[in-house]
Amino acid sequence: MNPQLDENQGLLQLQLHHNLWAFVQLIESGEKERLMELLRERLIECGWKDEMKALCRQFVKKKGSNNVTVDDLIHVITPRGRASIPDSIKAELLQRIRTFLVSAAP
Amino acid sequence: MSNEDNLSPHAQGLSLQLSSHFFGDLLDSIIVDVASECHRIARLGLDRNLEEEEEEMRLSAQARLRVADPSNSSEANGKYIVDIFGQNHPSVASEIFECMNCGRSVMAGKFAPHLEKCMGKGRKARLKVTRSSTAAQNRNSRGSPASAYSPYSNSTSSNRLSNGTSSVAGEEYSNGAFEDP
Repeated sequence: MNPQLDENQGLLQLQLHHNLWAFVQLIESGEKERLMELLRERLIECGWKDEMKALCRQFVKKKGSNNVTVDDLIHVITPRGRASIPDSIKAELLQRIRTFLVSAAP
Repeated sequence: MSNEDNLSPHAQGLSLQLSSHFFGDLLDSIIVDVASECHRIARLGLDRNLEEEEEEMRLSAQARLRVADPSNSSEANGKYIVDIFGQNHPSVASEIFECMNCGRSVMAGKFAPHLEKCMGKGRKARLKVTRSSTAAQNRNSRGSPASAYSPYSNSTSSNRLSNGTSSVAGEEYSNGAFEDP
């Protein structure tokens, strides 16, 4: 690390490195998989997945099942999908992620 | 639990940003998975049944409302009870079909008692069985079928009939009821 950097910048860099490292750790430790499974489960429980499937079905009905691509469906559900995550689920996941990030050591 | 209090505001801000970013990542992955799944279902035509399922879910949601509604209690309806689909069921099943044992037409709600008699479980049924087996024994001891329509009558016996001396056919023919051929 360059000692001539402003102290704040130095700290910032340090923390960036810390967090990038944490990102790698997130994946390698399997925590990313665990988080994904948790989120998947929560989204099924609260009916979010059913809602997304219904949106897809509507689209398929209109467009015809032979003309639909995966990309189409991704575009169909992404806006509503991102917007309709229940706050409690988002909070739960965010908390877990942050806990992991903070505790991950470089 | 969390070491966050030890972090500077910068670091806290960073960790917030980063965790939001990761969350978005996770969500996008799941969205891709759901889209893939729906695509597969659509292309394989597996959603044909889904409309029926949706209709069923709608009906059962309706039915659940009706059950929850206190004005639909069975007392109010008297003898007929309303089930969750709003259907009435009479207290005795009224469909009619044939008994596979004796061939008679029977009402479904009365089938069990009928079977008891028909297959020999009850008192009267046992008596009935005894009577008919006794009658069979009596017929057999006369050495010939009593029926006028026996398939085994042949010209020999009808000749003897016209003489009125035959003991074969039994009492019914002794008064010369048959005409000479």
